[in-house]
Amino acid sequence: MLEGLVSQESLSLNSMDMSVLERLKWVHQQQQQLQQVVSHSSNNSPELLQILQFHGSNNDELLESSFSQFQMLGSGFGPNYNMGFGPPHECISRTSSCHMEPVDTMEVLLKTGEETRAIALKNKRKPEVKTREEQKTEKKIKVEAETESSMKGKSNMGNTEASSDTSKETSKGASENQKLDYIHVRARRGQATDRHSLAERARREKISKKMKYLQDIVPGCNKVTGKAGMLDEIINYVQCLQRQVEFLSMKLAVLNPELELAVEDVSVKQFQAYFANVVASKQSIMVDVPLFPLDQQGSLDLSAINPNQTTSIEAPSASWETQSQSLYNTSSLGFHY
Amino acid sequence: MVESLFPSIENTSESSRRKKPRISETAEAEIEARRVNEESLKRWKTNRVQQIYACKLVEALRRVRQRSSTTSNNETDKLVSGAAREIRDTADRVLAASARGTTRWSRAILASRVRAKLKKHRKAKKSTGNCKSRKGLTETNRIKLPAVERKLKILGRLVPGCRKVSVPNLLDEATDYIAALEMQVRAMEALAELLTAAAPRTTLTGT
Repeated sequence: MLEGLVSQESLSLNSMDMSVLERLKWVHQQQQQLQQVVSHSSNNSPELLQILQFHGSNNDELLESSFSQFQMLGSGFGPNYNMGFGPPHECISRTSSCHMEPVDTMEVLLKTGEETRAIALKNKRKPEVKTREEQKTEKKIKVEAETESSMKGKSNMGNTEASSDTSKETSKGASENQKLDYIHVRARRGQATDRHSLAERARREKISKKMKYLQDIVPGCNKVTGKAGMLDEIINYVQCLQRQVEFLSMKLAVLNPELELAVEDVSVKQFQAYFANVVASKQSIMVDVPLFPLDQQGSLDLSAINPNQTTSIEAPSASWETQSQSLYNTSSLGFHY
Repeated sequence: MVESLFPSIENTSESSRRKKPRISETAEAEIEARRVNEESLKRWKTNRVQQIYACKLVEALRRVRQRSSTTSNNETDKLVSGAAREIRDTADRVLAASARGTTRWSRAILASRVRAKLKKHRKAKKSTGNCKSRKGLTETNRIKLPAVERKLKILGRLVPGCRKVSVPNLLDEATDYIAALEMQVRAMEALAELLTAAAPRTTLTGT
């Protein structure tokens, strides 16, 4: 019966398109259903008692306050786990094994506990059924969900407010109720849920995300782990690039006298060579020739190009040739691609 | 929704990033922040940007050549190094110009030249034209900062105009700067290759 509950609802909720409100509605429904289920099966499930004990031993205020929530969801870890993180089949198997092996349940609990995020909101009853992508870098309390869920979850609220994290949180939540757009931060289970640590965590996640981007772009950064090593690589790379620029500028300084002589050839051939470099190293992209700044080329007399010049540089597309011909008004461009 | 923004590799989307609210990041800003890094990487790889940069570079270099040709040709080494420095500055400026002023380092590069010019005009002999040369921390004040922070400071010094910038912004700027530098290196390499290829031909035909 549990599996049936889990499979049906969780599959439908795997899509990220569902709005939070819909998900909360679903969760509420689930809770109500599970409440009934739990009340029926509470006699037969010693693992639930273990769950209760497990939570009882935890000194976290948040968990104590959301005691009953976990009780309700003890058998419903499937959907929660499934919502954010796993394929439906996994959770079904987990819940099905719930009755057989209590030890397993504890492991499941621990695992899902690490992944389930306790909510650092004023209303700590309802589990937020957000996906992991949405949970990252979220900071403050979302108002709409709060008000909706508070209205729906009145039955569950009980005395949580009194024992909720801090009164300052509630006051802050109230003051921030006027603002609409917020970023959500979910405190992990067992971690502090006060304002500052949440902010710290969001900040750290932002920074680590940016470091990941840098890791992608700097070659050789994958081998090193840790911020210090990566920063070393990045600094090294930037210095390397700057040194390359200096070296090339020196080279161009020597070659500069030839710039004047080669001025007719330079621009057109340069871009072909450029394209060759680009094509060789990266994927070829369609040339955006109409955007070519012709005014800068006004001083160049391209008709002076030796029509017999041929380049062995491959251009990405043959249309470049036709477009360039029309642009430069030369009929006998001898470039071959 | 995010994917639809990728094909538009225009720089206007970069400027909209700057306007995110300060107090709290909205949901859109979060998506934009995520998009920013991918944007900046793609931005410096488009052919159009490369074309623009190459054209401007050629023009600027030609102007530089005209300027440097008026100087004396006695000491070749000095001339080469002086010209090299000028070329490098020119290339950096052109690079910053093609960034369209959306990034901090580009604005710093462009501003530093203006500042240097003003200083030259105001005072006859002023040796602080290079804004990068600043005295470091005094020995008395130096406390052993943690390694990461020290490295972040070094990175801040490397990226122009990013010394007193917050860490996430610094990383963003560094990403964009690295992508731009890569493009610059590629362009200058292509140009140098062309000139070396063209040189023997022109010397043969010219002389």
